[in-house]
Amino acid sequence: MSDPLLRLDDVYKSYGDERVLSGVSFEMDTGDVDVVIGPSGSGKSTMLRCVNRLTEIDSGAIYLDGECVTDADTDVNELRKQVGMVFQDFNLFAHLTALGNVTLGLRKVRGMEKSAAREKGYEHLEQVGLLDQADSYPAELSGGQKQRVGIAQALAMDPELLLFDEPTSALDPELVGEVVDVMRDLAAEGITMLVVSHEMGFARSAASDIVFLDGGEIVEHGPPEQLFENPRADRTREFLGRLRTEHEEG
Amino acid sequence: MGAETQESASAADGRSVRARATGLTDQPLTAFAVAVFWAWLVVRWTNDFLLGGSLAPRGTSFFPTAPIEFAATTLSGVAADLGVFGLPFQWLAGLVGFVAASIPYLPELATGVWATVLLTVAGIAFGFVIAVPLSIARVYGGSVTRSLALGYTELFRGTPLLAQLFVLYFATPLSIYIRELPAVGTGFVPAQAFWVAVVAFTLNSAAYQSEYIRSALNSVPEGQLTAARSIGLSKVEGIRYVVLPQGLRYAIPGWSNELVYLIKYSSLASFITVRELFEQADAIASETYRYTELFVLAGLLYLALVVSASLLMDAVERYVAIPGLGASGR
Repeated sequence: MSDPLLRLDDVYKSYGDERVLSGVSFEMDTGDVDVVIGPSGSGKSTMLRCVNRLTEIDSGAIYLDGECVTDADTDVNELRKQVGMVFQDFNLFAHLTALGNVTLGLRKVRGMEKSAAREKGYEHLEQVGLLDQADSYPAELSGGQKQRVGIAQALAMDPELLLFDEPTSALDPELVGEVVDVMRDLAAEGITMLVVSHEMGFARSAASDIVFLDGGEIVEHGPPEQLFENPRADRTREFLGRLRTEHEEG
Repeated sequence: MGAETQESASAADGRSVRARATGLTDQPLTAFAVAVFWAWLVVRWTNDFLLGGSLAPRGTSFFPTAPIEFAATTLSGVAADLGVFGLPFQWLAGLVGFVAASIPYLPELATGVWATVLLTVAGIAFGFVIAVPLSIARVYGGSVTRSLALGYTELFRGTPLLAQLFVLYFATPLSIYIRELPAVGTGFVPAQAFWVAVVAFTLNSAAYQSEYIRSALNSVPEGQLTAARSIGLSKVEGIRYVVLPQGLRYAIPGWSNELVYLIKYSSLASFITVRELFEQADAIASETYRYTELFVLAGLLYLALVVSASLLMDAVERYVAIPGLGASGR
């Protein structure tokens, strides 16, 4: 392998006086599924949003396919064609049907013909099991269905990398499964994914690597077996312990 | 699945609440009256402007007054015979008498209605074209564009419409330029004062409309533009394809209000000699001294226009309604 698909190099980010990322360095290859865990406020979402430049970094650099994407002269719209994003609160376009949501980017960003875009849209809705809801508006869908449309929307753009920002956190517990199932399918298909999530089941079974972020820095980074069974750092152990207790209580 | 049924149930509730609140469209009598009103207007205008008065000479009513006058006299007679109990008949006679007296003025008032409708439609439509970029500048612009847009809005909302009309008509050479244009003041193309009024209403209405649209754009959740940007749309594209289609739907109720205001405010154009409905009524009244009848009549015609506008906007709102968006979703 030459360059990794994604590389973060000593990334710093502050909001005012509050430092959110302090010297994050990290890389992942095509086909990897990396799951970022960490306490709330640890900078997980910020790290993700820096990758497609919804958030601008203060210093350091981010490389996609060997190309620096944090340069001032990078075309952010070009970058975002290659990096899809799935949001915690879905952010589906409220005025468009499920199909319209999936095809908007194809038509207006990729410049596809309407009929070709529809065809591809149906394909991706089928991929997330929602072909029968193609004509439903977001308000008519359940949370789990909305999030699956969100995934289909991101997939349709054929991104090199898919970012997931806590995709199941806004869901009722009984709806988490359907979304996780779709994500697991994508992982099996070899889609490169960077996922911020506390879904331990997904992390254990689908992740190639787990990244533990705390206080804006990467505390530990390793395959799930190692990180979950034999965490090296005290902070990781403590966090995982707390997460398990919460799970058992819940 | 539980959440799904719940959500669709609440969506259905939202729709029925809205349908109850709408009202006007659900009244067949109103719809019928409005249809008759517009049928009359269209036939009248066609006859006067296009056919050169081949159905009825210009200025002559379609309806005969004699039978109605006769009915009024008869009712009056009945009322007199019944003494105290005849009072309701007396009122009825008065009403029928009013209708009979109004009929001869209707053709000229219909010409005024033409100008009023044209003035309102042009003002609201051109105003809209300016208001959309203006409101986008207010919400998404940099500090300079934002203050320019704010300055414009405050200037036109903060000064009287009448003053704006006067300044444009008397203090600028606008009417002279317009007078030189071909076709102005011939046939159904109104004279220059009318076009000055259109400019004034456009500029003024743009300011008000931009406020309605601005607040509607602000009510589109921020995540919508973020999501648009994250699939690679530029900011302008995101606004155009995602924020505006939603924001404009939110803006419909406020915007309908502006349309209703503009119908009535268009009467101010009479101050710069535009022969719209109010000016027409005023002119006839000062010749005939029948002020009460003519202003009541003009008022009724304005009311009919306003009710028509409300019906139209209700229909538009229903036509573009999307589950979960706009009035039906909140």
